[in-house]
Amino acid sequence: MYGWVGKILKVDLTEGKISTEPTEAYVDEYIGGRGLGVKLIYDNYKPGTGALEPGNPLLFNTGPLSGTAMPGSGRVDVTALSPMSNLRAKSNFGAYWGPELKFNGFDHLFITGKAEKPCYLWIHDGKVEIRPAEHLWGQDTHETQKLIQQELGDPEIKVVCIGPAGENLVRFACLISETGDAAGRTGMGAVMGSKNLKAVAVRGTGSVRVAHPEKFLELSIQVNREVRESPAYQELSSWGVARGVQMMYQMGFFPVGYFEDVCVDEICQKYAAPAYVEQHQLKNVGCFNCPGRCMNFLSVPGLGKGVTSCEPFSGFTGAVWNLDMDTFWEATLLVNKLGIDCTETSASIGLLMELFHEGIITEKETDGIPMVRGSKEAILTTIRKIAAREGYGELLAQGQKAFTSQIGPAAVEKLDLVKGLAPHAYEFRSFHGTALMQAVGHRGDPLPLRGSLLEVDWNHAPEWFQQVAKEQFGSEEAAIPTSYEGKAMSAVISEHLERVPDNLGICKWIYGLFAYQDVNMALRLFNLATGKDWDMAQLLKVSEKVRNLERMFDVRQGLTRKDDDLPKKFFEVPLSKGKFAGEVLDRAKFEKMKDEYYEIRGWNKETGIPTREKLVELGLEAVADEVLN
Amino acid sequence: MLKTLIVDAQKCSGCRSCENYCALKHGGLCNPARGRIHVVKWEREGIFVPINCRRCEKPACEQVCPKHATYRNFDTGALEVDAARCIGCLNCVSACPFGATFVDPESGEVLKCDLCDGDPTCVKVCPTGALTFEDLSKEAYLKLIACADQIPLLVREAIGRQE
Repeated sequence: MYGWVGKILKVDLTEGKISTEPTEAYVDEYIGGRGLGVKLIYDNYKPGTGALEPGNPLLFNTGPLSGTAMPGSGRVDVTALSPMSNLRAKSNFGAYWGPELKFNGFDHLFITGKAEKPCYLWIHDGKVEIRPAEHLWGQDTHETQKLIQQELGDPEIKVVCIGPAGENLVRFACLISETGDAAGRTGMGAVMGSKNLKAVAVRGTGSVRVAHPEKFLELSIQVNREVRESPAYQELSSWGVARGVQMMYQMGFFPVGYFEDVCVDEICQKYAAPAYVEQHQLKNVGCFNCPGRCMNFLSVPGLGKGVTSCEPFSGFTGAVWNLDMDTFWEATLLVNKLGIDCTETSASIGLLMELFHEGIITEKETDGIPMVRGSKEAILTTIRKIAAREGYGELLAQGQKAFTSQIGPAAVEKLDLVKGLAPHAYEFRSFHGTALMQAVGHRGDPLPLRGSLLEVDWNHAPEWFQQVAKEQFGSEEAAIPTSYEGKAMSAVISEHLERVPDNLGICKWIYGLFAYQDVNMALRLFNLATGKDWDMAQLLKVSEKVRNLERMFDVRQGLTRKDDDLPKKFFEVPLSKGKFAGEVLDRAKFEKMKDEYYEIRGWNKETGIPTREKLVELGLEAVADEVLN
Repeated sequence: MLKTLIVDAQKCSGCRSCENYCALKHGGLCNPARGRIHVVKWEREGIFVPINCRRCEKPACEQVCPKHATYRNFDTGALEVDAARCIGCLNCVSACPFGATFVDPESGEVLKCDLCDGDPTCVKVCPTGALTFEDLSKEAYLKLIACADQIPLLVREAIGRQE
């Protein structure tokens, strides 16, 4: 096979058993990466198994283009049952680990069971060992990687690991690779920790074969040049998102605090990330084989070195009312080393600050530390306590819901969650397509979705982007943030586009958002690499199938239309400031957008569940038989 | 004037495009381990050093080869290996003072940078300008300028002034 390297590696930690299965049988229907990951978890997860029980499979999925010589080929999709939402988890990380797995001859890594004692996996040149990790237990993520590289005697070994938070089964613990590239969301670190698995170390020297090497080389050199020349990547490669985040605050796309109100003037005026980056940045870095360098490598004297990408720039600033950049950096390094999801952590801190501000909690509930908005002590102590599950961190580590339930109904009332997770911190009151994509989304992911980005872009040049929206989504209104029209179609198309790079194992920021705004280039590269001759319709049909299978997994877990919702704050409290002052979501119009969405998808409008006809059309008859009956 | 490949490690972001595109160009495969250039990485320090043949004036690899398989291509200045003569003793690998002669992990074949016959692929795809292809005479000159550039800064630091 070209593109794919041929095998799915299966590791049963309970039995210590290692086996493989060929990839080929699945690829025409699911391609690979996220798509094939969904198929594998749907088939192998037994309903009723708890997220932290040994039976929950943990999957690492690369795609046919992962590891090839083309920009953005370093991505890995991670899935399991999420301990946060009890639905299918989805997380994705970059850096250098995924290609290294493929150079071992494995497209997917499938882990089940639970080791008796802490262990780590060592995969090298196609061989797999389960090694003891008692000496690594308790080490932070940076230290763990270093110790494994030293122990195995090769600095080029790539490690993805959990930190103390994952060991302690913090529900939103994450996986960390290199100095900070994370499979952040949906609690993959807790799943790995529940298996007594500290790390997966890989090193391979095999090849990924491509069907048309000369043409592939020529085209990928062209892509390399085009990515470098694209204005978005010139910005990202020198500043990361530091300046972009400031712009997001100014246009009111990012809320301040726990979704309090947009555009707090103070943060617009005093947001200091660009200056901080200028002062402390060693260089920008990126993932495997990528000319884009979206991550900032900062070195701050006294605080340390590390990498950060987008989330912390808003998570540890606006979301927790913080303007001190040293606190931002300390918090960022801390979550990376301890291995907890920045988005969920900053939202949890924001919640505490909000509760404290409203007088619902006092310092008594938080071990004597007043949760004053923006307080450095509050931010850093909360991170440490969550990771260690100490004091109030014990409850918070089980999620915001567990914490507020303990406090009482007034606190529960304040919760802003979507499907059990902190939603992406975007202002849904004024960006309605984004709101729809968050609500119906598989995990709730409006960005990076093309339709949501168009609503952001609209602020720069309304007429231009309305025209773009008309061409791509069939309606000018799709680009206008405050409109409710055309959003359903934009959501459906965007979801299909998004799954293409995910299925291929490449970066969706490049192929679909910033360098190329559609997936034509991804398709050309896919055909050249794999030797297939697919057209766009076939590629997008797989996306649709994957979307429906994801939905059916969640339906089997009990998901229905009522879960496709947003916190009520967005329907009740209008914005008081900024460009979109006065905007609030209209419940009826919001539900109508959902109706349209289900209709286009061929799902039942009342229940939000895919219809049998749709599933049969997509070749998912067996799934319909299992779940719908 | 001959051109040569100049490495500026300070600019490297460690993406390894050079390795992978090199393997694709020369072997038709995607495999950084088969590249004729290699990036040594200290990830936690943010230090990345691309290692490539220096095309020495008195090349150790050429001198130690018992079968005279390593030879200079006078059109490009590159040191190449004649696969038909090579017996795989790896003397050249051991003798290279820079570790810039590599071995194919699968076939055991010696891998040396041939500058892609005067049009290096790695230079085309290097995103940061860490790899450039310049006149041979410029190598020393560019280094001189880069170092001289640092001097005012060092002087200012030494006398404790900010400006």
